[in-house]
Amino acid sequence: MQSTEALVSVGLNHYLVLSALLFTIGSLGVLLRKNMIVILMSIELMLNAVNISFVAFATYLDNLDGKIMVLFVMTIAAAEAAVGLALAVNIFKNFREVNIRFFEHLRG
Amino acid sequence: MSELDILFYILSSMSVLFGALVVLTSSPIYSSLYLVMSMLSVAGIFMTLNAPFIAGIQIIVYAGAVLVLFVMVLMLFDLKRETKAFTKGRFSGFLKLVGAGLLCGFIAGAAYESVSLIMATSEEIPTNIAAAAETGFSPTTNSIKEISKLLFTKYLFAFEVLGLLLLVVPIGAVALSRVAGGTHAKH
Repeated sequence: MQSTEALVSVGLNHYLVLSALLFTIGSLGVLLRKNMIVILMSIELMLNAVNISFVAFATYLDNLDGKIMVLFVMTIAAAEAAVGLALAVNIFKNFREVNIRFFEHLRG
Repeated sequence: MSELDILFYILSSMSVLFGALVVLTSSPIYSSLYLVMSMLSVAGIFMTLNAPFIAGIQIIVYAGAVLVLFVMVLMLFDLKRETKAFTKGRFSGFLKLVGAGLLCGFIAGAAYESVSLIMATSEEIPTNIAAAAETGFSPTTNSIKEISKLLFTKYLFAFEVLGLLLLVVPIGAVALSRVAGGTHAKH
């Protein structure tokens, strides 16, 4: 059985639970919001949560591969934000609103 | 309970709080502000994880580059007319909440179990969790040097592919946001 001391002192578990919480908040943002910009921000939150668990595992297993993966994830996140914002600009030009429901009307 | 633990609790509660505010605030410009705060807290969490290089990259790339991109795109839009920020449908919204809660529980539970598993088989890992847990953190000295060595040997191909992606993405972004006829195109 775990004592309260083992629960309070921070270990790998704490970082993973924090990662799960942030990921859930991000996924809720993607599911519940209508503004496309906020949805992109929520995706950034989810990627950040994944980064936390990557770095936590990298530190606690003393293995640097996780930190390399974090660099890759950050690059992909920046690229994804650029493309997503370009799509948002396109939606706004066509419909004067950045609502996600206009996404299906985009052509070409 | 050491100082590092207290720092972790402060930073993690800040990141979760500001992350929740990102989703809950109806104005996108405030959402981006809260997202900056959340990113900075996450950078602090990386510092507590003994990864200062990753923390610096987090601040430069996310808080510096990506969020500036977000805010500049937000300035293009007319934000006054956002009346309903959330999707309609109480039942589907309830289902989404329940699904996200279940997802959180599953992730946390699976993480907990996997950590116990790794703890159980920690003899097979050369420098294991148990040793790291005893000393607090493993002394990964010269972390940036090691990371760059790994990046240019083991992950060289992925690194080059990433460079290609970074070439393709701006072209794609420009091609997507460009409408025939420029900004005064008629629809």
